Amino acid sequence: MAVFLQSLISGILIGGVYALIGIGLTLIFGVMRVINFGHGDILMVGMYLTYILFTFAGIDPFVSVLISFPLMFLFGGFLQKVFINRVLNAVAQNQILLTIGLGLIMSNTVMLIFTSDYKIITTSYSSSTIQVGGGVSVSWPLLVSFLITAVITAVLYWFLLKTDTGQAIRATAQDREAAQLMGINVKRMSIIAFGLGSALAGTAGALISPTYYIFPQVGSVFTLKAFVITVLGGMGSVVGATLGGVLIGITESMSAAYISSGWKDVVVFVLFLLVLLLKPSGLMGKSRT
Amino acid sequence: MRKHLLALGATLALSPLMAQKIGVINSMSGPEAPIGESITNGIKLAEEDLVKKGIHVQLVWEDDTGKPQISMSAMEKLATRDNVVGVVGPYTSACSNAVSKLAQKYRVPLLIPAAAKEEITRQGFKYVFRMNAPADRYASSLIDASLTLGKPKTIAFIYENTDFGTSTSKTAKDYVATKGIQVVADEPYPKGSADYRSTLAKIKSKNPDLVFMVSYVADAILLMRQSREVGLQPQAFLGGGAGFTTSEFAREHAISEDVISCTQWTDDVNWPGAKDFGKRYKAKFGKDATYHAACAYESMMIMAECAAKGGGNRDKTQTLLKAGQWNGIMGPVQFADYEGFTNQNNHPMLVQQIQGGTYETIFPKAFATKKAVYPFPRWK
Repeated sequence: MAVFLQSLISGILIGGVYALIGIGLTLIFGVMRVINFGHGDILMVGMYLTYILFTFAGIDPFVSVLISFPLMFLFGGFLQKVFINRVLNAVAQNQILLTIGLGLIMSNTVMLIFTSDYKIITTSYSSSTIQVGGGVSVSWPLLVSFLITAVITAVLYWFLLKTDTGQAIRATAQDREAAQLMGINVKRMSIIAFGLGSALAGTAGALISPTYYIFPQVGSVFTLKAFVITVLGGMGSVVGATLGGVLIGITESMSAAYISSGWKDVVVFVLFLLVLLLKPSGLMGKSRT
Repeated sequence: MRKHLLALGATLALSPLMAQKIGVINSMSGPEAPIGESITNGIKLAEEDLVKKGIHVQLVWEDDTGKPQISMSAMEKLATRDNVVGVVGPYTSACSNAVSKLAQKYRVPLLIPAAAKEEITRQGFKYVFRMNAPADRYASSLIDASLTLGKPKTIAFIYENTDFGTSTSKTAKDYVATKGIQVVADEPYPKGSADYRSTLAKIKSKNPDLVFMVSYVADAILLMRQSREVGLQPQAFLGGGAGFTTSEFAREHAISEDVISCTQWTDDVNWPGAKDFGKRYKAKFGKDATYHAACAYESMMIMAECAAKGGGNRDKTQTLLKAGQWNGIMGPVQFADYEGFTNQNNHPMLVQQIQGGTYETIFPKAFATKKAVYPFPRWK
């Protein structure tokens, strides 16, 4: 029982962070129809930002979210304005090449500056836990990052549903041309969407930093994960990405406990294939042909 | 005077021709790059010392980024296009295993400095040599040490599902079977996972006396952190090489103290030049020398010496490597055939424990500098 509860709790907590990564990717795809293959690398930049703030300014990784979120938003907006906007109407291969290229430039630039050494942020609470009884413990930093994720996701929902800008973003996502005809500045919405997507990825990076490790190639692990989450939840669906993230987190954790950690990726991908077979547009996706 | 100048000119002009071309395949970028850097640094020190010995080498560097397929194309290039006399490298077991077949095919002497998978030198390849002790020695030295220190009855394994992790723990499992220790958990994991808590909780529920881990740098820290989180409390944590023997790991006091690991080399061992190598390395690169650096250094020294003696001929170099005996910073080195191995240096492993943030040799007795802490203290 302790093993079951431990796995369930860890799965949900880590799944929350996965969700944050997935939401960023799905938001970008929804608005731009561009698959961002550099998403993991943006997350990596967020991690290094946290590392710099922690090491040189002594700012706690969780507090640094307040700084890294706006910075990563600007960074994402910049990428969109300078690079992505130019290929919005190009063929998909060109968009893919561009985002892969941007990702490579990011990871290699970081490697030049920081070398490929692993960086570990060691805070006073890095391995502290709360005992919840029955031999089950909850990682303190993981719990905090889950709570921050929940708050950010809630605010994001509110933003997308209630504010004018949020509605304009959703309109752009639903039909770019119609939105433009209605007087929505779609280029600006694209910049905001990519900025938000990057900020979410960067925040996820900041939140994982106290419990994970940082190196320039860390992005690839999360790019793949973000794809699975996004496609599982339905490309473009924020609710789907949230659901997908938590689902993947729990699946990984449970299969590691009850089958073998070596098989957990297999279980995740089998689940993924099953969902695609039974519901090709993903859990929350609407087919859009 | 003119004659002298001519002679000097001729020597200068010829010296690049006389320099032995030696290939290096290493993981200079990619996830294994931190260890690759140690290997690069070791080889750079060797290059300096070779010049002092009057042996001129021209190194051709190839980065395999830790991927076997890139390693193989690097070997093809070195063997056919660059025409090197011999090759030192690659780092990881997966790359070395892939490259060894090509070395034999092209008849290029390959000296592997630090890859642990046993099969690499068990294929009967005449052109493949290995400096470090293979994976079975990692396991047996650690188990022997814990049997001397206490009376463990059960053991749990958690390891990376790569060539290195699987082969190290497989031999460990075979070895504990002969010692009457029962395996209560066997958990391979894919590297780069963010969360090992569920696996560790499962291991905890089995309450093993020993926990044997095989991982590279970052996962080693993560595994120990999360072990502390879930309250895994064995008599000893045994780390099978790689990630558990780095200064990065030792720096994480809260979780690395009293972890037992084994290594190919330490800078306090009494092998000729070992202490001096450690000092020079630290002065030049600002980091502590790891066993990877020492293995790479000694491998390059031996390869270059044989290449020079063999006049740049691959077959002669192979014969010289096979026949030679050395005694340097890695202790006595000889590429012997034993227990199904071919051209394998029968290198003695050292068992060490992190005490006060530094690695102290605790086993075998002949090289021990400190008394071991056993059993593992309760997590604070």
